[in-house]
Amino acid sequence: MTHEELRDQYDLYAIGVADEPVRDEIRGHLARGCEECMLQMRHARELAVLFGVSPDAAAPSPKLRRRILASVGFEQRRFGWAPWLGLATALSLFAAFYFSTRERQFAEIALSLREQMRRQTIELTQLNEAFSILSGPSTIEVNFGQGPKGKVYIDRSHGVLLIANSLPPAPAGKIYEMWVIRKGSKPVPAGLFQSQSNGSALHIQTGAVDPNLAIVAVTLENEAGAAQPTTTPILTASLQ
Amino acid sequence: MLFLPLLLAIHGPAPDGDLVERLQRRDPQALGELYDRYGRMAYSLILRIVRDTGTAEDLVQETFLRVWNRVQGFDAEKGSIGPWLLAVARNRAIDYLRSASGRERNAYEFEESDHPALYTDMEHDLLVSDKARRVKQAMLKLPANHRQVLELAYFEGLSQTEMAERMGQPLGTVKTWVRTALKSLRDDLGVVVTA
Repeated sequence: MTHEELRDQYDLYAIGVADEPVRDEIRGHLARGCEECMLQMRHARELAVLFGVSPDAAAPSPKLRRRILASVGFEQRRFGWAPWLGLATALSLFAAFYFSTRERQFAEIALSLREQMRRQTIELTQLNEAFSILSGPSTIEVNFGQGPKGKVYIDRSHGVLLIANSLPPAPAGKIYEMWVIRKGSKPVPAGLFQSQSNGSALHIQTGAVDPNLAIVAVTLENEAGAAQPTTTPILTASLQ
Repeated sequence: MLFLPLLLAIHGPAPDGDLVERLQRRDPQALGELYDRYGRMAYSLILRIVRDTGTAEDLVQETFLRVWNRVQGFDAEKGSIGPWLLAVARNRAIDYLRSASGRERNAYEFEESDHPALYTDMEHDLLVSDKARRVKQAMLKLPANHRQVLELAYFEGLSQTEMAERMGQPLGTVKTWVRTALKSLRDDLGVVVTA
């Protein structure tokens, strides 16, 4: 075959798909050191190589490099990532501990603030109620004092306000209970309260007050309170 | 844009000459650098042929081992080692395909890729230029049946007779398509590849 006849076959030969007898013909030329064929084959191989980079790019597993080096007896040092992994783990644990602690602290602070707000709301409500009673146009003021001293204010449309001093905090398991007593009647429970550590106490029983109210008294009762006084009154304020 | 990762993977101003000399001195680090330079390219080519990631990785490993074992025959002063490595990669993959499908192996082709000297003297920047991108663009411009015969030849290693059987076309028609496709490709590429 002439080189002109082989012209279209070099590319096929370069990628290994030339049919016989062309394949043998080119092989023979190359074996004889045919310069024209060697030149054409170099160009054909270049085109074949360019075909080889035309597929879309893909990435092998990162382990493949190590596998290949190991296959020629070269073991890469494996600890390259270990210190970083250890550091990252330690930092993660520290961060988890730190943030969980902080989160717990924030939760406790939030709980404390909520409790403080709740107490202040109660106190504000009490103060509003106390102010309503104190500022009532028909409020009656009654002093008491034998031991604990203080005053009782009665506004028949708003309720009864008791303000006491020198009233020590009730012992554990005990509580103070206020009573309103009509003339000739049994005492009626008017709420439980505790005094402050400085002996001051403020207690309000809201609602309309019986016009025949004669006495406001306070007894020391068990923590659950009582339907009727079980002890001698600690203080008594008589309206008449 | 699909070529960008490939071109980036093989960037690097250092010529292959020094790398080849170190491979010939049996420096394992040089094999690592060779992999860094051509590993993704070889893997992409082999995966395109065998279409299985596990098999492709095995064949990439075989390719680099073959280059490692035969690099003494490569002239470090004559061009880049990349074209030879890609030829070995393709031949490994086609050999696998032929074995897996019970087709006859093309022994001479594999003997040829065992001779790295045949791949010297190629253009030094053959793989780092935009020629590969231009080849792909030129391929896309071919009629579908012309492109198909080139792909069957290069990526499946089918002979023209096998292509004719696969496509259900007369052998003469397939040969005409192949010849026309290659001529169109070379005409389109102009000075890129001369023949």
